[in-house]
Amino acid sequence: MAVEKNYYTIDPQGRLRCVKCGVPLVKGKAKFMYLDNGFPVELPVCPVCGFVYVPEELALGKVASVERALEDK
Amino acid sequence: MSQIRERGSTHVYKVNKISKEEMDEMTARCVYEQPPFCSAACPLKLDVRAFLKAAADGDFKKALQLYEKVAPFPLVLSSGCEAPCEGKCRLGEIGDTVSVRAVEAAVSRFGEQSRLGGVFRSKKRKTVAVLGADLFTLFLAGELEKKAYPITVFCGQTDCESYLRACAPFLSEKDFAPELKRLKGKDIQFEFNCRLDAAFYEDKKARFDVLCASEAMTKALFPEAAVIPELMFCEEESLVCGSCAGVLDTAFGAKKAALTVDRLAQKLDPRNMRGSEGACGSKLYTDLSAAKALRRVPLGEEGYTKEQAVEEAGRCIACHCEECLKTCAYLKHYKKHPGLLSREIYNNTQIIMGDHPLNKAMNACALCGQCSVVCPNGFDMAQVCAAARRNMVSTDKMPLAPHEFALLDMLFSNGEAFLARPQPGYENCRYAFFPGCQAAAIAPATVKAAYLDLSERLEGGVALILGCCGAIADWAGRTEMEEQTRELLERELSRLGDPIVIAGCPSCAKELRSFCGCEVRGIWDVLLELGLPEGAHALERPAALHDSCGARGDEATQKAIRTLAAQLGCELVDTLCSGDRSPCCGYGGLTAYANREVAGEMTEKCLERSDAPYISYCMACRDRFARQGRESRHILELCYGTDAGAPPDISEKRKNRLSLKNELLQEVWLEEAMEKKLDYSLAFTGEARALMDDRMILVEDVIAVLEDFRASGEAIEDEDGLLVARRRVGNATFWVKFSREEDGYLVHRAWSHRMRVEKREG
Repeated sequence: MAVEKNYYTIDPQGRLRCVKCGVPLVKGKAKFMYLDNGFPVELPVCPVCGFVYVPEELALGKVASVERALEDK
Repeated sequence: MSQIRERGSTHVYKVNKISKEEMDEMTARCVYEQPPFCSAACPLKLDVRAFLKAAADGDFKKALQLYEKVAPFPLVLSSGCEAPCEGKCRLGEIGDTVSVRAVEAAVSRFGEQSRLGGVFRSKKRKTVAVLGADLFTLFLAGELEKKAYPITVFCGQTDCESYLRACAPFLSEKDFAPELKRLKGKDIQFEFNCRLDAAFYEDKKARFDVLCASEAMTKALFPEAAVIPELMFCEEESLVCGSCAGVLDTAFGAKKAALTVDRLAQKLDPRNMRGSEGACGSKLYTDLSAAKALRRVPLGEEGYTKEQAVEEAGRCIACHCEECLKTCAYLKHYKKHPGLLSREIYNNTQIIMGDHPLNKAMNACALCGQCSVVCPNGFDMAQVCAAARRNMVSTDKMPLAPHEFALLDMLFSNGEAFLARPQPGYENCRYAFFPGCQAAAIAPATVKAAYLDLSERLEGGVALILGCCGAIADWAGRTEMEEQTRELLERELSRLGDPIVIAGCPSCAKELRSFCGCEVRGIWDVLLELGLPEGAHALERPAALHDSCGARGDEATQKAIRTLAAQLGCELVDTLCSGDRSPCCGYGGLTAYANREVAGEMTEKCLERSDAPYISYCMACRDRFARQGRESRHILELCYGTDAGAPPDISEKRKNRLSLKNELLQEVWLEEAMEKKLDYSLAFTGEARALMDDRMILVEDVIAVLEDFRASGEAIEDEDGLLVARRRVGNATFWVKFSREEDGYLVHRAWSHRMRVEKREG
């Protein structure tokens, strides 16, 4: 069986809480999409409402560099 | 319109619209790759510049290697070379030319011979016979040995020594011994004491693949033979033959003959595929202003010593053209001459699938045209980069990200912040004041003072147009958006009675002149006619005047600004690169958005010209210099006695434009302005505001996120108890980290990304 590939994984380890639903965020499946490309990732997600959290370090680091690379395609 | 469509995919198959011929025509103007005049004059194509550099560095081994590439017998060649290179040396225009031949002789004497070749060198299969003993056959044997042909020299002499004496009788005794040693060291077979007659010739013809003969032997055997001088070839006899006119000509003849041997050995027509041979011209430009008019190192009877040769070689100024690289921070950053960079940018537009590595470089040019002025041939990088940008946009390959903020800013200027009104009491106006979007963003009080002054002192009514001229769309290569801006402004100008436009910015004046049918004047010209307004004052200290790149080629404007500065009583200090040669501050061409690093280097380049405060007549220049910490004033601030103060951040620039519009609507047109007010308080930490400015996040973006949070309640709470909410606005998702305060919010941090993110099932 093929192992599913995730480009990036963040486990919130119970440190983040969804304000609306009042529950801790968990490591959940999410995807980034840009210019017709998709990347499966695991990010902090609210198990109830599905709010996906993109931390500042991720947005300015990996996400920004992949954006640059795709923009220049 | 407040959103711009992002291209949908990275898979775009549209083809390029710039033809190769167009690009070749553009790049051909750059003379960087032209040979220096000395090398161009040398039929053997010696890289004189590199040779003299190695000699000047004392690296005679390397110098000799370079020389041996064209001279298999360096002492022979340097003893008799006519040295046309010296006649073309540019130093001759101000003093003595470099004595290249004497340096060549010294290098040949003192340079350590390289150990190329040897027993492991593989040889070609085709055999060559060289008949006779003269300078041509000596050089030809040397050339063919370099090419690794098995060569046999047949001559009437008794040994190598007598052969060399026959070939190069002019060689001095001092040089004879080392050159004899060199000859003996070469992989050439000799057969001495030959009787070179017709029978001998026929015998060799049957045994060797290619036959070469000295001038005397050719004449003796075939007195009527027609020799093709370009090929050194007698076609009827299939004989490679030469002549011994002068030493250099003979060496060149041997070089041509060796190439003919190559073709014959491959059974090809010797006429074809010969490349460029012999001396050529050069269009290279050499700046002699820094060169010293020195005399040659005197040459003794024995030639130069090693030390003298080093000194003489050191006089070479290594002719090369870097006029644009000296002044342009952009070209300097990429360390490439414009001919090469243009070709790479052209190739970038050609790529259908895969990376476009030159996008960043293509978008980093300020499109200011400085290169077209400093380049002796008028090379214009702006033409190349602007065409490439338009091409990338039209083929849907241009990323939106580098220019989106600026384009949205233009839409804001021509949307929410736009104003076009006739002066109260007039339906049609004789004039329309167009201060430019940056003036309204950076110095709103100055714009207001200028409008009130113009509408009071000019007769016939002065309308006001607050908006963007479309230069931003032009710089971004977005022709469609530029066209929309033009239509808007043409419509408004027509509604105002086709007035004379008084531009507050030279770039706006240039852009407006390019499309609108109205007369466009600069406010500086109008103020010179009206006289300075009350409150006008000079800067107390001497100041440097920075010419705007928008006024390049516009001598009248440059002059008018200087007259205005003089009337103000400003004392101006001289700077390098002023007038048409002035560099861009880094705002032009949207460099400040697309490549901040290069934009910063451009600002530095502007400021390194003087330590004095700067006076400019473009508000973007004023802003960028002030942001760099330099005291910086727009000339209109001095004219109207206003001080725009510290440079505003990106949100303040928008707020200033809106406030100016609302203030003027209320005070001049007595209209109630629609000002949006928040029903909660919104504050920012100093760190948050700095981050937002750096990351191009507007207060409006933060408000959009908070409005969304207030409606949906969606946010997460982190370990420190701070809340984080997000919202997709246009092509980006904005995240705001904040705390709830008594009657509103305090923003701590903000970030954004362009990728969409969503939950995935499974």
